[in-house]
Amino acid sequence: MNRSSLDLLLGFTQALALTMSVAFVTYVCLIVVPYLRHRRAAAGDPSRFEWHFLVPCRDEQAVIGETVLYLRATFPTAHVWVIDDDSEDSTAGVVRRIRGRTEANIHLVQRTRPNARTGKGDALNAGYRAIKQWMGRHADATLAVLVVVDADGRPSADCLAVCAAEHLFADPGIGAVQLDVRMLNSGVPQLGVGRVRRWYGGLLVRMQDLEFRTAIAAIQMSRGITGTISMGGNGQFTRLSALDSIAGPDGRPWRGSLLEDFELGVHLLTAGWRTGFTMDAHVDQEGLYSLRRFLAQRTRWGQGTMQCAGYLRQIWDSRHLSTLGAAEIMYYLAQPWMQLIGTLVYPIPFAFLGVRTLQAPSEVWAWFTGGAWLLFAVYGTFGLLPFLMWGPIYRLRCDRTGSLWRGLGYGLAYSLYIYTFYITSWRALLRLVRGRNGWAKTRRNTEVARGLVALDH
Amino acid sequence: MERPRPGRIAGHNPLVTWCVVGALLGVGAALVGWHGVYRSLEIRLAAVLIDATTSSGVYVAPHRQTVYFGLGTDHAIGLKITPECTSAFLVVPLLLVAAAMVSLRPRITRRVLASLGLAVVVLVLVNQVRMLTLVALIGGFGRHRGYYLGHTLLGSMVSVFGGAAALVLFVWLSTRTPRPKDTQKDTPKDAPA
Repeated sequence: MNRSSLDLLLGFTQALALTMSVAFVTYVCLIVVPYLRHRRAAAGDPSRFEWHFLVPCRDEQAVIGETVLYLRATFPTAHVWVIDDDSEDSTAGVVRRIRGRTEANIHLVQRTRPNARTGKGDALNAGYRAIKQWMGRHADATLAVLVVVDADGRPSADCLAVCAAEHLFADPGIGAVQLDVRMLNSGVPQLGVGRVRRWYGGLLVRMQDLEFRTAIAAIQMSRGITGTISMGGNGQFTRLSALDSIAGPDGRPWRGSLLEDFELGVHLLTAGWRTGFTMDAHVDQEGLYSLRRFLAQRTRWGQGTMQCAGYLRQIWDSRHLSTLGAAEIMYYLAQPWMQLIGTLVYPIPFAFLGVRTLQAPSEVWAWFTGGAWLLFAVYGTFGLLPFLMWGPIYRLRCDRTGSLWRGLGYGLAYSLYIYTFYITSWRALLRLVRGRNGWAKTRRNTEVARGLVALDH
Repeated sequence: MERPRPGRIAGHNPLVTWCVVGALLGVGAALVGWHGVYRSLEIRLAAVLIDATTSSGVYVAPHRQTVYFGLGTDHAIGLKITPECTSAFLVVPLLLVAAAMVSLRPRITRRVLASLGLAVVVLVLVNQVRMLTLVALIGGFGRHRGYYLGHTLLGSMVSVFGGAAALVLFVWLSTRTPRPKDTQKDTPKDAPA
């Protein structure tokens, strides 16, 4: 490569890196405002609606019993539908035992192979069809709400009243509402492991809690402006009539991508429904202590996001989405691809600097001490701040137990945590290229490895 | 149900859409391939502005993308726009995004092109402001100190904030909900409500 080509490469990569960084910093500045301005809204009357909790299960005997008991005790008028995806453990047995010794309102939807274990979307569709059949043809689908909860999920006791609020399901145009997600085991040390691993696992769970309660919540709040609030896999509330409108003749409102929750949101939005997000209620779920399992989970999410790029045309063609909304979704769907580009582009200027340092160390040192250090400091700050700031924000708004220094420490740890996305995006791409689109579930913390789990991929 | 293909929105000629997309991508490729020509134009513009804002002599060598200023004084100096300093490569990502937006939603073509034009003007002007700042600081603080302040520190800041301004301007203008008058202009009469 001659000098001119090197200059071109350096100039182009620097400009690209600058554009992507500036775009991201600007985006973060814009999303933090609605998040910080959030105020609790008045709750509604949950008795106006009929609530159905859907709990898809695949080998969940370790957690499903407690979850069913929690849901029944906390929401006595709601129905709990456990969809057993042909579990190899005694998941179904646990549910049957609870149903036998309590009362109605607990339903078991039993799926069997070869029609089972084909994905969470298929399991949810089975639950949806069972509810439709149970309700009968003449039931009012506009007043029935399906709530997807993970087998270890714990929706907060006020979630039904919050979701029944005037700006949420009391508004007939709202098709779905997503709850804020928190980590149940944040601040709970992992048992049965050494000190280092306990500290590290605890920090990883804390970062997941921080991520969901600050950055992701902020993204969702800002989506309230663009009209593109997306759905998550846990704490997902959907109006039955909205599901009916996108279910098609086969009764399949959830589709087949690895990010079936996001996919559902896209279908609802393009069908003309509005979606909501609330931080006034939350759902607790288990954070992962294991880095390997965490990477496997995020690889699945990354691959799912890549798969959803196929919806770009449908999103931009939709008359129901504004250009800003379509652009926001496109930016979200571009994230894993930008991370791939970033891993290629960002190191190039540093590689040049490294080569130059080897060739003329004194010259580079003079350049660095002569003022370029300040440039590094400035760029470093720009690179860090969009992540670092969430630490103190988390400390101020979510968890006031530690000092502000601890909040800053969380921010620094979160900056490192984000780098895992560069790994998971490449892993996701490799899986996509190899056509590996199936996925086993991510193992729970309390679950002993048996059979195929996401960790094994 | 058949979904409309790119450019198949009623009232929008797909050929025109694809021509616009092709032109945007072509301009992007040209900026990369012939960045030397672009830098020559940039340095000519810088020379005009420096000449208008300083009292000393200015000489431009477009083929070397260099402008000399302070001629006739003891502090004559030349500034070269290198591939790292040009605004050409900052324009390329905007062109790519604009091409994607036009291909995906042809009815916003005019709005996207207008926004792109404004954003490009901002980027070009920001780079000129950076050059002028550099010239002013070299005049005020001397060659070494002024260059350090103007190029390494302030120049980078101008690039970051200018880049952000151009980006926000582009996104805001190209995605904003059109006023009723604009809607009539942008939306074909037979499009569904």
